[in-house]
Amino acid sequence: MKPTPIKPTPIRPGSALAAEFWEQGRSASCPVINIHAHPGPVYSGYMPNCRPADMVRELRKVGGRLMCVAPHSALFAPEIGNAEAESIVEEFPQEIRAYMTINPQYPELMLRDLAGFDKKRHIYVGFKLLPDYHRVRLSDRRYQAVFEFADERGLPVISHTYANSPYNGEAEVEKVVARYSGLKFIMAHCLKANWRAAAAIARQYPHAYLDLTAVSGQWGAVDYLCTHAGSEKMLFGTDSPWYGLHQAIGQLLSADITDDDIHNILHRNAERLLNLTDSEG
Amino acid sequence: MRFFDVNCFIGLPTVAIQKPVKTAGELLERMDRAGIEKALVWHVCQRDYAVAEGNRLLAEAIAPHKDCLTGCWAVLPNQWGELPPPQEFCEQMVKANVKALRVFPGMHNFLLRQETLGPMLEVMVKRRIPLILPITGEVGWPAAFDLLRTYPKLRCILSNVNTCGTERQYAPLLAGYSHVYLEMSEFILDGGIEAVTARFGAEKLLFGTGFPRRGHGGAMLALQHAAISAAEKAAIAAGNLETLLNWE
Repeated sequence: MKPTPIKPTPIRPGSALAAEFWEQGRSASCPVINIHAHPGPVYSGYMPNCRPADMVRELRKVGGRLMCVAPHSALFAPEIGNAEAESIVEEFPQEIRAYMTINPQYPELMLRDLAGFDKKRHIYVGFKLLPDYHRVRLSDRRYQAVFEFADERGLPVISHTYANSPYNGEAEVEKVVARYSGLKFIMAHCLKANWRAAAAIARQYPHAYLDLTAVSGQWGAVDYLCTHAGSEKMLFGTDSPWYGLHQAIGQLLSADITDDDIHNILHRNAERLLNLTDSEG
Repeated sequence: MRFFDVNCFIGLPTVAIQKPVKTAGELLERMDRAGIEKALVWHVCQRDYAVAEGNRLLAEAIAPHKDCLTGCWAVLPNQWGELPPPQEFCEQMVKANVKALRVFPGMHNFLLRQETLGPMLEVMVKRRIPLILPITGEVGWPAAFDLLRTYPKLRCILSNVNTCGTERQYAPLLAGYSHVYLEMSEFILDGGIEAVTARFGAEKLLFGTGFPRRGHGGAMLALQHAAISAAEKAAIAAGNLETLLNWE
């Protein structure tokens, strides 16, 4: 009897992981953790999936376990601040945790929020910084309180990072990670597109991590970061509802790295970073 | 699902990208690995070096692979006779298995309008030849709007439309012109495939990857799991483009 020909898996032939994502949209062995998302509408464009319920539905489609969010309202509307983040987590406690967004243009609001952080650990996993948009350099003294707070507690701080930016470019990132070794610094967008500097910082500092949001679409960037920083330092993020989860996973599956690397990126590293146990959501 | 990629290129860009694909053979190898059957391909020398030379290089590269690679040439204003006259140019396209054109008005220093490209655009309208408009960094939205107001029956593919705040830009063009299409290599908005399909119809979307600047898998997996019908997916994946390129 002739053997049945094995149907090649699109995108990534021979990969059981890719086969599962292709056929079912999810993988039982790969509970995706999206560490970078922004619920809610935003000034710059129309987003059909921006409601938290839509985002949770999309997360479930990919077999997602958790997403860590900073709502657009927290990023851009200081008078709303982190209030929406808290209500979203309370609505979806299984699938969503929040970052406390810090806008150092309003130090009094920042200090008020920081004072309440420890009582809200069921809501917040760490802090979100957006220096390019808030127009404050990472090394500015106005950020000092949040870095010290996170450093003492070993908390994640995820910051927008872009190459050559005076606010969150290579030099500013390095100043922070060199000074604060107790916190976990997540470079959102991996200093796009200075992959060399991003990889070097992640390799040099054990507490520096790479968030692939808007990076995995650049074919070859993931391979480079994996080779030069290691997949143990890389985290999966999408900026949802900007970018879709299947799109981002598909780009990751296109990289010339191993399935084991992809597991590290899609969930294992975030599980460690966020101290998630098997039973925790 | 059969995939026909509307946007990929070969050649070594002047400014290097992470993993360029130099030859048609290398492109086919990666397409085969990803599960992409056919592609509409351009050569980076058309943009970075010189249009006529780039067009020639592309024709040579795809000649042995007519079953799976279709060409996309670049075009210029022809006041200086840099390219053959429009009718002759179109005959050369047919011979070279070239089924679409694209423009680089930013890099090539011209205005995309009737006074510059008029004779060629009139032939394209008459013969139903599609024009690919790389929006980001080349054509820009005002020029695309002006062009379509002048040539409302021109078949236009909006390309390299990135997701950061472009929904309000492309939507009036999809709504207002029956021959305007959106390729999805950088159109990766969460829920975007479903939203465009519901509001403007699946016939408006074309599968594209932007390879090798972008990987193949993102657009493929997004389309595979989009919440639209199988027929709509098949049309976006290949059918719409096959219809569009069938103008001879």
